[in-house]
Amino acid sequence: MARGNQVIRGPESWRPRLVLGCFMLFAVVLGIRAIDLQVLSQAFLAGEGAKRHVRTLDVPGGRGAILDRRGEPLALSAPVESVWAVPGELLKHSDQITPLAQLLGQASSSLKSELQERNGRSFMYLRRQLAPADARRVMALDAPGVFLQREYRRYYPAAEAAAQLVGFTDIDTQGQEGLELALEPLLHGEAGSRRVIKDRVGRVVEDLAEFQPPQAGQDVRLSIDLRLQYVAYRELKRAVAEEQAKSGVVVVADPRSGEVLAMASYPSYNPNRREAVNSEGLRNRAMVDTFEPGSTVKPLVVALGLQSGLFNANSVIATDGGRFRVGRLLVRDFRDYGPVDMRKLLMKSSNVGAAKIGLTLGAEELWKGYQSLGFGSMAGVGFPGESEGVLHHFRHWGQIGTATASYGYSLSVSALQLTRAYCALANDGVLPNMTLLRDYANNKPGKRVLSARVARQVREYMESVVTPEGTARRAAIEGYRVAGKTGTARKVAKTGGYDHSAHQGLFIGMVPADRPELVVMVMIDEPGRGQYYGGAVAAPVFSRVMQGSLRTLQIPPQAPFDSPLTTAGQHGRESRS
Amino acid sequence: MFGLIKLREWRERLILPTPDRVDPMLLTVAALILFWGLIMVASASVAVAERHTGMPFHYFYRQLVFALFGLGVAFVVFQVPIKTWEDSGFSLLVFAMLMLLIVFIPGIGREVNGAQRWIDLGPVNLQASEPARFCLVMYLASYVVRRRVELSLDFKGMVKPMIPLSLACALMLLEPDYGAVVILMAVSLMILFLAGARILHLSVLFGVACSGLVYLALSSPYRLRRLVSFTNPWEDPYDSGFQLSQALIAIGRGEWFGVGLGNSVQKLLYLPETHTDFVYAVLAEETGLFGSLLLIGLFVLLMWRGFDIAGRALVREQYFGAYVCYGFTAWIGLQAFVNLAVNMGLLPTKGLTLPLMSYGGSSLVVMFMVLAVMLRIDAESRGAVADSKPVERPHLPQGARA
Repeated sequence: MARGNQVIRGPESWRPRLVLGCFMLFAVVLGIRAIDLQVLSQAFLAGEGAKRHVRTLDVPGGRGAILDRRGEPLALSAPVESVWAVPGELLKHSDQITPLAQLLGQASSSLKSELQERNGRSFMYLRRQLAPADARRVMALDAPGVFLQREYRRYYPAAEAAAQLVGFTDIDTQGQEGLELALEPLLHGEAGSRRVIKDRVGRVVEDLAEFQPPQAGQDVRLSIDLRLQYVAYRELKRAVAEEQAKSGVVVVADPRSGEVLAMASYPSYNPNRREAVNSEGLRNRAMVDTFEPGSTVKPLVVALGLQSGLFNANSVIATDGGRFRVGRLLVRDFRDYGPVDMRKLLMKSSNVGAAKIGLTLGAEELWKGYQSLGFGSMAGVGFPGESEGVLHHFRHWGQIGTATASYGYSLSVSALQLTRAYCALANDGVLPNMTLLRDYANNKPGKRVLSARVARQVREYMESVVTPEGTARRAAIEGYRVAGKTGTARKVAKTGGYDHSAHQGLFIGMVPADRPELVVMVMIDEPGRGQYYGGAVAAPVFSRVMQGSLRTLQIPPQAPFDSPLTTAGQHGRESRS
Repeated sequence: MFGLIKLREWRERLILPTPDRVDPMLLTVAALILFWGLIMVASASVAVAERHTGMPFHYFYRQLVFALFGLGVAFVVFQVPIKTWEDSGFSLLVFAMLMLLIVFIPGIGREVNGAQRWIDLGPVNLQASEPARFCLVMYLASYVVRRRVELSLDFKGMVKPMIPLSLACALMLLEPDYGAVVILMAVSLMILFLAGARILHLSVLFGVACSGLVYLALSSPYRLRRLVSFTNPWEDPYDSGFQLSQALIAIGRGEWFGVGLGNSVQKLLYLPETHTDFVYAVLAEETGLFGSLLLIGLFVLLMWRGFDIAGRALVREQYFGAYVCYGFTAWIGLQAFVNLAVNMGLLPTKGLTLPLMSYGGSSLVVMFMVLAVMLRIDAESRGAVADSKPVERPHLPQGARA
């Protein structure tokens, strides 16, 4: 390459080659770097990318509905839309904030300040659970950084009538109370998920292969009959208002299957608008609260006495002039009833008679008897907060304890437990397992605790309670044979001992008395108008609820208008326990 | 009738860049890069365009119009004899300086993102530094040809052209447009080096230029922080390292053959400047290592052809053409490689586009002009068209090989 005119030309030929060489070196470095990034460090970089793009979205599985035994809905899920935003994106277009705030029913300035507070975040709910039509209106604004999320909202068509029973879910449709909580595993759908790639402003641009389909929850059918539930709630509400009482409970059950047909508590609340819910309204008093059953245990005690063989239909108990001393305890009757047989004992509700039966049976027998009737153990419906009541062991009873337990004090039961024990009487001596679900397969057959003969006998005695001479004349129902029992319990005062001004009026009964199809139990807590006897405050509610239920279930009357009650225009004596 | 005759006359005088006249490989490589660039601009800008204009292909259509306009400009430039450029070296310098000054005139100069780089031309904005660099390279080449002897002997001879160049650099720093300054200085030093300047003299100049740049870098802690953040973008991937970490993620996602054209996720507003400075990152994500190496290969081929053409011009003693060709080739190559290096986190982030590919009308049209001049130099060195000297037509197209 040596040339003669090299000197004039100046540049040597190595110079361009050096420059080109440098460039080639640069290119090689770039190539190596590309291999490094795209092959060697690829996993790290792709991972960093995935952290930014790939999101797992929940696909909500619809929650199962809660239905009554006839398929009427008690709780339903309806699709709604929740509006959310990327605060930073929305703030960039502040002209959109005012119309958006208007649609969301919010002050423009407060929305703006909320957005500014969360400026750095990438998610913020603007409004949850809007009706789909309203959500569409919001999206029609086409405001940047505003998105919808499909959710389900729970609606409770029965509203306050079954509120404590059905319970409710939180905003994320997780069961929080009542059957919504208890049945959570059945109702709750398995949320599916999908893995998606999102762009930087949150729009889904691609679905990845991983997709888990959501599984809808199961519908659950309750044993409840919504028609009966409405009747029970309506009558309870009315009675509590009329009697100026604090609260109340009504339970309607089918004694043969143990199915609860209605269960109403008052005060209640509207589960669709829960802003004003307090703990008083929330409690399902039929299962969570307990009380001393008082005289309502007497038919059970009589039944246990007959069952033991120590007493029979001809047994007569002296009531000692209505005053009977057991150690330091003085057992008193309302009046001196003279010697009473079993029928009269129940009709007049003699404490002395009941105490004598209990003492004759002995603490252990009585305790065992109560236990066999389900006292002191849960009725087993699996309701959250369900109470098992208090039944102390007989060894702690002593003579006094045995006597008081015989007429329903020093032990406590829930309304459902008491109803269950009466179901045994109604069901010819077989104690059914109580249930809130209409699912026969899971309902184990009941347990025989009394002979059928004894049960029938006691029912017959209990019919006398609703006669004019009995304590609950007002529980009678024209055309039907009613067997039942009143109860009036003094409430335990906060200071200990019994409060002489706070009572609970009870009535529990069954129809038709010869082969009962329904058991209804009513408890009115702290009636405030002076009268507090179960026969006065609870029996009329029983009568109305039972009548409504009989009519609804089309249970025919069997003794049409031959009841002595039809002629009893005026009452000769005050009803009482 | 008259018009038709005139037209025919024009057509006869028109020189087409046919394969016997120009280097077919340079033409092919440049065309490939340009085509690929159009596709990548379309792909990379969809999300940004939709967000800002509502039309996903807004930037693509504009780029397409720029390309067609550039093609026309290139055709015209190809007709211009190299001698004409050589003779107007000083005018080009004046023109370049004027361009760089106009940017600062209120009402005409336009500021975008805090940089006063644009001249308002109504529907489009002209980035002054692009045509200025074109003119300045021409000017420097004409200088070294005129003062070749002085250059190789005397330090003063080398410093003299650096005075107007430094002035131009100062103006560009004022805009500011650091990237353009770096490229211009590097290309200028390379032209001086190739033109035979003493290594010692060059080292002094190089030292001065470098210390100037270092001073600039250190003069503001913010700039320094931005400058060094490229060494570890994962330290602060949501602030100073944001852009680079997003670019690296894009490149990494590409793997061997890419996620497929149009399937980039990073372009969906994660990575800023996808269609301008970081178009390579999207290209790498969508076409993978295969695409990366192919692109680097295309630029290597382009440089090789450019240097080969320059070398042949040199042999044919078409010095001006040779140095212009060296300068232009180095310009394209350096800017491309620096851009790729920035994308891959090897160099600090600078506002430099990928020549022939990135979105931007000024850059694209000037690149068309650069290629047209290079092809013209090639054609003249082959003797395929008349150059400044009356040269005997060679018998063979390859006759130029010495």
